[in-house]
Amino acid sequence: MLSPQHWFAALAQSPLGHFTQTSRWAFAVIEMVHLLALAALGGSVLLVDLRLLGVILRGESAAVISRDLGRVLLASLAVMILSGIGLLSEEAMKCYFSPAFRWKMALLAAAVVFYFTVHRRVARGADGGTANLPQRAVAIVSLVLWLGVGVAGRAIGLI
Amino acid sequence: MAQPLLQHFCQILYDSPFGTSVRESDYAFSVIESVHVLSITLLVGSISILDLRMLGLSLREIPVTRVARSVLPLTWAGFGVMFVSGFLLFWAEAAKSYTNPAFRVKVVLLLLVGLNPLIFHTTIYRRVAEWERDHRSPWRARVAACVSLLLWGSIIVAGRAIAYF
Repeated sequence: MLSPQHWFAALAQSPLGHFTQTSRWAFAVIEMVHLLALAALGGSVLLVDLRLLGVILRGESAAVISRDLGRVLLASLAVMILSGIGLLSEEAMKCYFSPAFRWKMALLAAAVVFYFTVHRRVARGADGGTANLPQRAVAIVSLVLWLGVGVAGRAIGLI
Repeated sequence: MAQPLLQHFCQILYDSPFGTSVRESDYAFSVIESVHVLSITLLVGSISILDLRMLGLSLREIPVTRVARSVLPLTWAGFGVMFVSGFLLFWAEAAKSYTNPAFRVKVVLLLLVGLNPLIFHTTIYRRVAEWERDHRSPWRARVAACVSLLLWGSIIVAGRAIAYF
């Protein structure tokens, strides 16, 4: 079993890494795709969590909103992860040693695990009507985790 | 005055004490830029869900007007944050932005993206009561939705490109 550092080095030396490191526009273009998916991901997270908080669409079933926007979330998450691997390949070793990147990965793992375990179950067990305390708590944890992923991600380019 | 009035105005902003301090600060520009970038989720993320609803790709069971009423306050809040943070970034870089091709494209796209809801709300949306429950909105609403997705997407791309010119 190789250490994570070896995996990062392998990505940097892979054909993908070679391409993103030598191409003039690859990184910029992949970053734009990453940002476009960010809009969709953030929008779907925000709407589902605001529904769970009872701020919007109170009369509609939270389960339906979670199911429909869950598809948007998963599709955009897939695009973000794939484009993220592309971005990572361009600066793998810098990211490996970057505290912001490590925070982002930890928060991302937490956000995804929380979504598939707690968030989905609570949202899909809910129906119309006012939000209860567990729903509100789940929404707040979700918003904090995803915002953390975004802030840490932005910080990779700054620190 | 050899340079155009607009360029002159940009230069004044650029040289102003505020613009200079944002540009030369260690953190100010990055922090404002981070707020600007993350607000994309508020503005574009929210409006794109209304667009997806009209295209019949999401939240089909919920009437269009209900989605619109929930989503538009978020979109406007996002617009407020984006506009203010964006203007501060422009203030700090105005003289460079003026000649930046990506910035020019972005300004044109922003004007176009404002035109879209103006046309939409004065035409097909006037009769929204007739179609708000349809799983897929009428074709003119779907065109407006596609144009909105396309323009906002292009604005994100052009905005990111500003840094590369």
